[in-house]
Amino acid sequence: MVAAGAAVAVAEDQPSRRPRAALASGVGIGWRPEIAGFVEGLPGLRFVEVVAESVPAHGELPGGLRTLLDRGVTVIPHGVRLSLGGAEPVDATRVEHFAAVADRLGAPLVSEHIAFVRAGGVEAGHLLPLPRTREAVDAVVANVRLLQQSLTVPIALEPIAALFDWPDDELTEAQFLTEILDRSGAHLLLDVANVYANARNRGTDPLDLLDDLPLDRVAYVHVAGGAEHQGLYHDTHTDAVPEPVLELVAALCARHRPPALMLERDGDYPPAPDLAAELDEIAKASGYPAVT
Amino acid sequence: MTRPAGDPGGQSGGGTLADRQAALVEALTAGRPVPHGFDGFRFEAARVALLRKRAGEVTRQWPMLAVGFGERWNREFAEWAAARPTQGSLRDGWDLARDLAKRDGLPLVAAAELAGREAAWHYDGRSAPRSRRSPALRTAAGATALQIAGRVWLLRGP
Repeated sequence: MVAAGAAVAVAEDQPSRRPRAALASGVGIGWRPEIAGFVEGLPGLRFVEVVAESVPAHGELPGGLRTLLDRGVTVIPHGVRLSLGGAEPVDATRVEHFAAVADRLGAPLVSEHIAFVRAGGVEAGHLLPLPRTREAVDAVVANVRLLQQSLTVPIALEPIAALFDWPDDELTEAQFLTEILDRSGAHLLLDVANVYANARNRGTDPLDLLDDLPLDRVAYVHVAGGAEHQGLYHDTHTDAVPEPVLELVAALCARHRPPALMLERDGDYPPAPDLAAELDEIAKASGYPAVT
Repeated sequence: MTRPAGDPGGQSGGGTLADRQAALVEALTAGRPVPHGFDGFRFEAARVALLRKRAGEVTRQWPMLAVGFGERWNREFAEWAAARPTQGSLRDGWDLARDLAKRDGLPLVAAAELAGREAAWHYDGRSAPRSRRSPALRTAAGATALQIAGRVWLLRGP
């Protein structure tokens, strides 16, 4: 089949702000166009997250997303390209888009990563780790503050999974993260799969990090799958959630249960019953009601 | 693609955060040496994982291109992309398809996909593609596509 130029709906400038939705709660899922039908069919769903850069600031919203919003499901925009950890100031055009998307979705909260994705004008194509130094803390905090000037809702920051570390860390991971949260006033988006991946690849105990993080600052939690290649665990989002990650979810909830948890799946989508089973496992591990 | 070398500050472990981040991105995306002090094995694992992820993203934009290579797709893309930082998956796939067509290496099943895109969009190879306002007839690797008012017809297969 020949790909045709997509017809672009031209919308007039319209008031694009929705009333603010309820905070994320219970078990949710990352909304992706490929699984829009599955997500729409989840009867107990109260929140989803959407990649902020995939949502247009004006014009038509993706159909499945609009249906969820009309049903009162909370939609949280999740930025992946702002590069808040970049030494350069965050790009004003990207900030404007991010803030506009948050407004039109009526999001009670937005999220981004503690990472950088470009430097010297070159895109890395991936979230890259920062050195755990005071200079890097300063860079993140400066960018988060710039972003907060354009936002009308709080932001939650997500620590990433990294296959390598910088050679000159001055702070422990918990010190580094806590310092950023304290100085920026941001909430924490805790990715349990990232905690698991980093601990496994560094040979540390993931529970130690949970013990040292300010868990009362967690706005919501990511859960995702991964796979091992050549002795390293890769946080792929294209594999099933492994048992140890679910155990870590339970350990987290035993310490301080977060208000919301969600499954992140970004490709190689399994049949709907398998995806539903993963959501049920997250519900079981956290003690929240099943949404399927 | 040629780009200026990363700042040497990144090689010595010194330099500002900006210099060191630039050197790291260069090493990951442009085939430059791993910055000093980093674990070479892990850095290489991250580089390979990044190329695999990019290949998957290009597959979504250019499904027939990926299908045309079958199991060799990830390796084919990685070889091409190893020293080319991403311009986004749409342009990455487009640039690769054009390169392949130029050297008669475009899989036949991908010819219509490329011809259709060429007819529908104007892409100068340097900036974001724009949809064409006027009708266009384009041929790629033996496939010919006609676009009128945004609709595309395949006139001739490869």
